Amino acid sequence: MSAAFKGRREDRRLVTGAGRYTADWNQSGQLYAAFLRSDRAHAEIVSIDTKAASAHPGVAGIFTAEDTKAAGLVFPPPFLPFPGKGGQPIKVPAHGILASGRVRYVGEEIAMVVAATAAAAQDAVEKIEIEYQDLPAVSDVEDALKPGAAQIHAEIPGNVSLVYEYGNEAKVNEAMAKAAHVTRIKLYSARLVSNPMEPKGCLAVYDAAKDVWDFWSSTQGITMMSGSLATHGIAPEKARIHAQDVGGGFGTRGGAYPEYLVVMLAAKKLGKPVKWVATRSETFVSDHHGRAIRLSGALALDKEGNFLAFRLDWTCDLGAYPAGAGPFINTITPMLTPTGVYKTPAVYGLHHLVVTNTTPIAPYRGAGRPDGAYLIERLVDEAAREMKIDRLELRRRNFIAKDAFPYETPTMVPYDSGDYATLLEKALQKTDWAGFEKRRAESKSRGKLRGIGLASFIEPAGAALAPKDQTLLKFGSSGNLVLHSVTGPTGQGHETVMPEIVGRELGVDPELITLSTGDPDGPPLIGGGTAGSRSMSSHGAASLMAAREVIKKGLELAAKDLEVAVADIEFKDGKYSVKGTDKSIGIIQLAKKQSSTAGSHPMDAGGEVPAAGTFPSGVHVAEVEIDPDTGVTSVLRYLTMDDCGTVINHTLLEGQMHGGIMQGAGQVFGEECQYDRASGQLLTGSFMDYYMPRAGLIRDLQVYDHPVPSPTNPLGVKGAGEAGTTGSLPTFMNAVVDALRPIGIHHIDMPITPSKMWHAIRAAAK
Amino acid sequence: MLAKDQDAKLLSGGMTLIPTLKQRLASPSQLIDISRIAELRGIAVKGEHLEIGAAMQHAEVARSNDVKQKIPALAYLASQIGDPQVRNRGTIGGSVANNDPVADYPGAALGLGATIKTTQREIAADDFFKGVFETALKADEIVTGISFPVPKRAAYAKFPHPVSGYSMTGSFVADNGNGVRVAITGAGQGVFRWKEAEVALGRNFSLAALKGLAMPSRGLSNDLHATAEYRANLVEVMTRRAVASLTGGK
Repeated sequence: MSAAFKGRREDRRLVTGAGRYTADWNQSGQLYAAFLRSDRAHAEIVSIDTKAASAHPGVAGIFTAEDTKAAGLVFPPPFLPFPGKGGQPIKVPAHGILASGRVRYVGEEIAMVVAATAAAAQDAVEKIEIEYQDLPAVSDVEDALKPGAAQIHAEIPGNVSLVYEYGNEAKVNEAMAKAAHVTRIKLYSARLVSNPMEPKGCLAVYDAAKDVWDFWSSTQGITMMSGSLATHGIAPEKARIHAQDVGGGFGTRGGAYPEYLVVMLAAKKLGKPVKWVATRSETFVSDHHGRAIRLSGALALDKEGNFLAFRLDWTCDLGAYPAGAGPFINTITPMLTPTGVYKTPAVYGLHHLVVTNTTPIAPYRGAGRPDGAYLIERLVDEAAREMKIDRLELRRRNFIAKDAFPYETPTMVPYDSGDYATLLEKALQKTDWAGFEKRRAESKSRGKLRGIGLASFIEPAGAALAPKDQTLLKFGSSGNLVLHSVTGPTGQGHETVMPEIVGRELGVDPELITLSTGDPDGPPLIGGGTAGSRSMSSHGAASLMAAREVIKKGLELAAKDLEVAVADIEFKDGKYSVKGTDKSIGIIQLAKKQSSTAGSHPMDAGGEVPAAGTFPSGVHVAEVEIDPDTGVTSVLRYLTMDDCGTVINHTLLEGQMHGGIMQGAGQVFGEECQYDRASGQLLTGSFMDYYMPRAGLIRDLQVYDHPVPSPTNPLGVKGAGEAGTTGSLPTFMNAVVDALRPIGIHHIDMPITPSKMWHAIRAAAK
Repeated sequence: MLAKDQDAKLLSGGMTLIPTLKQRLASPSQLIDISRIAELRGIAVKGEHLEIGAAMQHAEVARSNDVKQKIPALAYLASQIGDPQVRNRGTIGGSVANNDPVADYPGAALGLGATIKTTQREIAADDFFKGVFETALKADEIVTGISFPVPKRAAYAKFPHPVSGYSMTGSFVADNGNGVRVAITGAGQGVFRWKEAEVALGRNFSLAALKGLAMPSRGLSNDLHATAEYRANLVEVMTRRAVASLTGGK
C-alpha cells in the first residue's frame, strides 16, 4: 500500500489547460489537411475530378491513391502471427492507404486536400467531384454470411476472412452428449465507438536534408507508433515521434491511421509542415470501432453441477478491412481464458471473422475480454437457474482452487495465481448479499423491480507487444533522475506511479524522479506501449529493475567514497552504510559527487523484464432497480473485489476501475453504433444519436482489493486497465436479468435502453 | 438588415445555429447578434402575467425569484434544459422561435397558454407553433418576449432523452382555475396539447381522472431510440407524474 496519496503529478498540467495534445502542436508556416471520405457504404469509384478543388484559393496540393501508391505506402496486413483452422492463414485483401477503385464503408478515406487554412482545405474537399456506381452493401455479419451476399473483397470469398478454433471439439461433443444438463445462450456485444475526448490527428514536418520526419501525434506509445508507421512503409529511423498528452487511448490510439501517412507524404512533397485534426464526425466514422460480436455458448454440467465443457462460438465483425489487432483480439485473447475461473476439463471455441461494409474493428478497452467474460458469466447464471442450484453455490463448486496454480487451461495456458473463492466471499460480505431479498421486497412495494448480480471473472493481461520491455534511469546534474520508458500514458497516472516505484526502491523522494516517454531524442529502448493492461507489469517492473541496477552500480562508488571494501557496504533506506558503523552516504549525495561525461553518469542504469502475461481476476457486484413505467434502470450500487496482484497505488488503481466500469456501463445502458441495414449508412454519427455514459450513472461505486501477487514479474502486479470493463458487462447484465426474473424474463440484450426495457416488460406481462 | 438581406440570420444564444454552421449545413450571409438588445432583456411581473424578454438565458429564468414565485414549474423547466453551458447561452426566445420538437420551452408556452410578443404583433401560443421547426413567424419578424399567464398551479415532468438530454417526452400540466391545459413536447412532430387529458383533469384534477386514459401512438415519433408506443406510454407516465407532483400523489 502506498503512503498518503498527494494527488497525481500530471494533474496540475492537465487541469490548468497546460496539457499538450495533438492540436496544441504547431509549426510556423504549416498547412492544413482535410479529407474526402466516402459517403456510401459500397461503390465503385468511376472517376475522381480534382480540377475545381485544385483551383480553390489557398489549395497547395491534393493527394489521391495514385500518390500514396507511387510513394510506396501500403495498408499493412493485420497483426496475426498464427494461422486459423486447418492451418489456413487469414485472408487479407490488397488495399492502399487511400481508396482506389472501390469504397467499402461510409467514411473511408479517398483523397486529401492541403491548403493554407483548415477551412479552405474543407471547402476544396467539397469541390472534388466524384462519380460512384453503387454496389449492394452488407453492414451486418448475418447478412454478410448469407449465400449470394455482396462480396466485399475478391480475396475473401464468402466474406469470411478467418476461421479460428481452439480446444478439443471431440472432447466437448462427448461431454455434451453425456451431460446431465446443457445450458445454451446467445448474446450480442454491440459495435461501439471508442470516442476519446481527443480526436485523432497529427502534425508532420519533413527534413529533406536528413530525409527524416518529425511527427507529432497522440499515441499509446512511441514504439507502437513507429512500429505501425514501419508496417505502412516508413522505416522507424525515418520518423522522430513526439508525443506528450493523450486525450484517451482505449486501444484506438495505438498505431498510425491511414490519414497520418498521407499527411506525412504531403509534408514531404510540399516541403512544408502539414497538420490535420479530425472532427468529431470523422471520429465517429473513421476511428476504428470496437466489439461487434455475436456470441453463442453452451455449458455442459453433470448432475451435481460440475462443469464438464464449454462450447463457444463467436461471429466477429472485422469491418471492411482486417486491420491492426482487430483479428488478434477476436482470436487469441478469448482463447487465453476460455473457461473463466472454473475448472473445466474441456473447451472448444470456433470463431468466424467476417468482413462487412462498415468501419474496421480494432481493440477497444477490454478487446475481447469483456465479451468472453460476458458469455461465460451469463452462461453460469443461466445454468444455475435451469438446474435450480444457487448461483453462488454453483460458482463455489467449480472455482479453480487457490492451491492449483500455475493452473493450466484446456487450451494449455498457465494462469499465474488467484484466489477466486475468497474474492467471492469478501465481495458478498461487503454487499450484504444475504440481505438482498428484503431490499427487493422494499423496491417491489414502490412498484420497482430490484436485482442483484455478480460476475467472477478473469482476463488475460500483459500483452506481449515486445519480447521485453526496457527502461533507463539517468541522473541529472542536481541529483535528480529521469526515468525513460516507451509506455504511452493515456490517463493512468504513469508520471506519478512510475517514479513512486523507483523512489521507493532507491529510498528517495519520488519527486526527484521524472518520467520521460515521448521524447524522440530519448535513449532507444525496446518495449511496447500501453495496451492490453500491460504497463505496470512491463514498464513498472522494468523501472524497479533499473532502480536495483542503480543501487548495484552505486555499491562500488560508495565503497570508494567511504573507504571500505564493497563487501562491507549495505544499502538500505536510500543510504549506503558501512556495516556495523554509523558511517553512510545517501544515494543522491553519492550520485552528486560523481561527474557526468558526455551526458552519461556512472550510476545511470537500465532495467528490463521479459514479456510475461498476468491474469487479473475479480468479483464485481451490482444492484439495480428498474422502473417498469419508464423502463429506466438505475444503478443503486456497484462494488468490486479485485485481484490485480500487488497494489502499488490504490487510488490510481481505483481510477482505472472507475473508468473501466463506466465504459462497461456505457455499453450496458446505451452505447450502440448502428448502421442502416440496407444502405450501410451510419445512423449514430453524433452525440445526438450515440449514447455516452454520464458521471451520474453510477453514484455508489466502491473498489476493494484482494491482492494475490503474480509470480510472473518482480513487482507481483497484474493488469488493471481493462478489469473494470471486463467485469462490468456480465455483472450489470446478471443484475438486470435478476431483477427481471420474477416477471419471467431471463434474457435481454445490451444496451438496455429504456424503450427496449419497457417493451420487454410489457411483452412479459401479456 | 433582416428585411434587406434574405440570407442573413439572427443569432441569439446560438445553441442551434452554431452547430448548424459547424456542420456546414448553413452559410448565412450575415449573422445579426440580438442577444444584447435591451428591449429583449428582463423579467417582469405585470398583474397576472409574467413577462420574459426573448434574450433571457435559461439559467436566468431558472434562478429568477419572480419566476420561482409566480410559476415555479417554468423555473424548474428552465433548470432542466441541456447542461450549464447551454443554460448560460441559450435563450427563451431562441428556443420558442426555433420550435424544435424536442425542446422544453414550447411545452411551457403552449401549456400555460402564453402570448408570444414579436416586433410586429402578439401571437397566442396556440397559433404560434406549427409543427417541426415551423412557427407563425414571418421572415423579418423577431420574438421580443413571452407573456405567461400565472396559473393556479402547474408542473412539468420531463423524461430526458438518454442520448441527447433533450425532451424525449415532457408533459406540462397547467391548471388555471377554470380549465386545464396539457402540452406535450418531444413525443411528436412538434409540441401538441393532449385534449383528452385536459378534459378529464378539468373535471377532476387528480390521478384518478387519468386512469384508463390512453395516448394513441399514431403520429408520434418512432426512431432508433424509442418506439412510438413507448413515447405514447411516456406521455401518460409523465402526465401522471406532473399531476401527482401537484396533488400530493393523489
